[in-house]
Amino acid sequence: MKAATAYGRPDLVQRLNVTLERVRKPDVQVVAIGEFKQGKSSLVNAIVNVNICPVDDDIATAVHTIVRYGEERRAFALVKSANDPDGEGQRIAIPLDQIRAYATELGGIDPSVIVKGVEIEVPRKLLADGLILVDTPGVGGLSGAHAAAGMGAISIADALLFISDASQEYTRAEMDFLAQALELCPSAVCVMAKTDLYPRWREVMEINKGHLARLGLNLPILAVSSMLRMEAIRREDKELNAQSGFPALIQYITNDLIAGKARTNRILAQRDLFAVCDQLGGQFEAEKSALTDPAASAALVAGLERAKARAEALRGQASRWSTTLNDGVGDLTSDIDFDMRARMRAVMAEADSAIEAFDPLDSWDEFEPWLTNAVSQAVVANYRYLTERAATLSSEVARHFGQEGHELFADLEIHNAANVLGRVSIDPHIEVEDIGRGAKGLTALRGSYSGFLMVGLLGNLALAGVLGPALLPIQVGAGLILGRKTLKDEKERALMRRRSDAKNAVRRYSDEVQFQVGKDSRDTLRRVQRQLRDHYSSRAEELNRSTSEALKSAQDAVRVAEADKSKRIKDVQAELDRIKNMRTQAERLTAQPASRQPA
Amino acid sequence: MSEQLITSTHELLDGAQRAFAGVPGAEALAEARRRLDEPLRVAIAGKVKAGKSTLLNALVGERLAPTDTGECTKIVTWYRDGHTYQVILYPRDGSDPVQVRFERDDGAIDVDLGGRDPVSVDRLDITWPSSNLRKITLIDTPGVDTLSEGVADKAFEFLDPKDTETPADAVLYLMKHIHAADMRLLEAFHDEAVSQPNPVNAIAVLSRADEIGGGRVDSMASARKIAARLARDGRLRRLVQVVIPVAGLLAETAETLTEREFKLLTELATMSRSELETYLLSADRFIQGTPGMPLTSLEREELLGRLGIYGIRQSLALVRSKTVHSSVELSRELVGRSGLTDLQTILTTLFVDRAAVLKCRSALLTVERLCEQNPNNPGAAGLLLQIEQIMAVAHPFNELATLAAIRTGRIKAREQDLLDLERTLGATGTAPWQRLGLKQDTPADQIRSAAYESIARWQRLAENPLSPHELSQAARIGIRSLEELAVSLG
Repeated sequence: MKAATAYGRPDLVQRLNVTLERVRKPDVQVVAIGEFKQGKSSLVNAIVNVNICPVDDDIATAVHTIVRYGEERRAFALVKSANDPDGEGQRIAIPLDQIRAYATELGGIDPSVIVKGVEIEVPRKLLADGLILVDTPGVGGLSGAHAAAGMGAISIADALLFISDASQEYTRAEMDFLAQALELCPSAVCVMAKTDLYPRWREVMEINKGHLARLGLNLPILAVSSMLRMEAIRREDKELNAQSGFPALIQYITNDLIAGKARTNRILAQRDLFAVCDQLGGQFEAEKSALTDPAASAALVAGLERAKARAEALRGQASRWSTTLNDGVGDLTSDIDFDMRARMRAVMAEADSAIEAFDPLDSWDEFEPWLTNAVSQAVVANYRYLTERAATLSSEVARHFGQEGHELFADLEIHNAANVLGRVSIDPHIEVEDIGRGAKGLTALRGSYSGFLMVGLLGNLALAGVLGPALLPIQVGAGLILGRKTLKDEKERALMRRRSDAKNAVRRYSDEVQFQVGKDSRDTLRRVQRQLRDHYSSRAEELNRSTSEALKSAQDAVRVAEADKSKRIKDVQAELDRIKNMRTQAERLTAQPASRQPA
Repeated sequence: MSEQLITSTHELLDGAQRAFAGVPGAEALAEARRRLDEPLRVAIAGKVKAGKSTLLNALVGERLAPTDTGECTKIVTWYRDGHTYQVILYPRDGSDPVQVRFERDDGAIDVDLGGRDPVSVDRLDITWPSSNLRKITLIDTPGVDTLSEGVADKAFEFLDPKDTETPADAVLYLMKHIHAADMRLLEAFHDEAVSQPNPVNAIAVLSRADEIGGGRVDSMASARKIAARLARDGRLRRLVQVVIPVAGLLAETAETLTEREFKLLTELATMSRSELETYLLSADRFIQGTPGMPLTSLEREELLGRLGIYGIRQSLALVRSKTVHSSVELSRELVGRSGLTDLQTILTTLFVDRAAVLKCRSALLTVERLCEQNPNNPGAAGLLLQIEQIMAVAHPFNELATLAAIRTGRIKAREQDLLDLERTLGATGTAPWQRLGLKQDTPADQIRSAAYESIARWQRLAENPLSPHELSQAARIGIRSLEELAVSLG
């Protein structure tokens, strides 16, 4: 970085700054998912060794709870005003003993606020490396909204802990949920909790391995007992801790997840460093060539000029990659919109036939969770579609950028081929990194729908109120006196009215969802577009800068007096050596063994 | 009352059999008639591994249904009382039922399917002489939400067969903790006719209740609290009558406890409590143990498999405190602590006492469906009218319908009024003291005066011009129940 500063290239400096930040602090979000009452909160507690997520025999976690590093124990609640569910959320500090009230189904807090999440900071070494644990409400409970919150958390996860207790083998619902979750976040490990309670957990584990294998999922299963771990810590009993199975789990988290992420980050950093070295080097190589072989300088300058023109074009609006990007985003927006509409139409058609088949009064309580579930599935599927398409678009853009880049380099290569200038060592691949599929990822995509999944779905569900009193009075008792026949017509009319009311409520809900999702997806795409544009235009800018520097050096070199020439050659050679040295250092970065030890 | 109901139902079935002679589906009528004379059929349903077979064994008092760590029950199996021990297999393709061989493996009945695929078997019918089966025929079902293809669909089919009425009169629904899939199955069981979703024929059982609290000594108390909360949940209330926690494994073991097991427990109890507690922290530790610990690790594993951690803690406490001195006493104590006694009481008050009503209800449903399927049959209209007459006259039906109406929130009133009215209608049991919310051994004259007081109360409510129409009707049904009650007291 110093080198870049010294050579007067602030653009490169900035790029390295970003890289540095990433290497220093790898945020790893590990999300605990699973059905409700399987021991997710206990597991999170046991991992960080602190009794902070509320655990209860009965009351389940209701919102996602984020556990991250902090200097001292503190807790925050993300709340919204109940009167204004669409308004901005607030982050308020809450006392530690209030966590239970905020995080569980128990409630008991000020009813004018809606809790959207709880954030807890604890001073634990394990978390200091950037590990963030997220405890989610379990799926499969009676409240469909909780499940949606869980899905929202998955969309921002780096890795999942899929938790199921040892009392029984995986159920179909669990497997379906796991498969769905894996599509959002492919990195996962299965955790089997509560092994202390069940003597035959090994058999259950074998059965589960069979289930996973049949589904073609290659996931490890780790057996743990949160209860033993807490007891072990209380007694400071190493043996007990080993029996709890936690050392293996924590090792997995630190080695495979945190270190894995750190390794990816280092690889990315290395790639960035290579790029910087090559660009700096190119400048000096050009100068050196011009100095050593003045005869060829004219050709060199001409070549560099062509390269510069291309780099300019690459930077400009009319370049192919930028056209691809703009057109692509346009297409994508309408495709995603259409996809969402098509999905919602299918759900609505199903909802209508369900309303036709039953009396909404009787079935509404079951119907509503079904509807929210179906809708959230549609949204998740739409989101997956969006991610996929965005990644394809990004590759496309990368390819076009790369092609133009190649041509640019090809211009330089021509002269290499003529062997007039000696080899200008610019790796033509450096800038063709595909940020969509690469490890860096389209950060704009991450968590893009989580806003909707976590907040929107929860906030706009006050459907029951829509049905209102009109649906409630029913003439059951009357039927006994008047005889059922006479009442039948009246009943039918009331039923029709209820049905049309219910359908209207569903329509309003669907409109609201489409509106929200439409906005979210458009925002996301705009963010994607901006990110891609920024990424590639700054790369183009750098290339442009590098080529012009090289051109300038070469031109200068031609003009340099014969006497200074040999001195300058020496200088340039020295600079080149330094840059080569830096490159070697960068190479060593990835060769380093993982330095972190498990806590 | 119920004799009259059964007589009129028989008459209805006679008429229906005449009208529908030769019509496809009419076999169901003969079946319905047979059912009227049979014991009440109670199905045990629930998700995979909810402990259905275990609870069935506990209710029979004998280890009949095989249980295992993995998914076990794959075929709908009927357990009924009879003179001989025999197993009859009904193939799925409708061919003739065959008698199959079986062995007893550690008590459990191991049926030899003769090389048939379980999916091809419609049901197994096991006849077993047992006093407990004399009152109730129990039906074990495969778990829903299973990963074995085809097995789950069978449970759905069984509880909600298209076209025919449900083969079970009542259902015990087992769950570890209420789950969305549980709701789905419960809904399947509730038929649409007679009244809409009807909470009169289902009981929810919080099985494996001892595991809810992680096997702690207070686990059952914790489970009871949860059951009470669930029972107040509106969505569950409209599907089931009550929620009862039962530690299934403990119940089964308690009912079948052997002298040898008692001796092993006594031996284990010689170890000091605090020392033993460190090994009871986890199942692995308990089995592994330490040199010098009483019993071999195989024996400990066996005990754990039979009792669970909670059961071992409870048994040891009972043995240590000298509350029990023999396997019989321990068995009785454990049955009580497992919650099985509560369940049996509730089964008796809610289902067995109402068996006639529930069975007639099933018969009426059969006839009603046949009429609907054959609307052009000349007898159909007359039969439907007859059904309506029976329903209108039979007070127990009105009671059940009103109960269902209260439960599903169709009747609006103060909460206390609704709760009392439910009780009057027999929601907690049909004995006079239960309907009036009195103690079991209340003298007759006190019951009588309480009944008159109650009648006056509902009369005021029924005649209050501000009461909604539905509430007045419900109150009148309650008055009728109380009048019958007063008459029965003499």
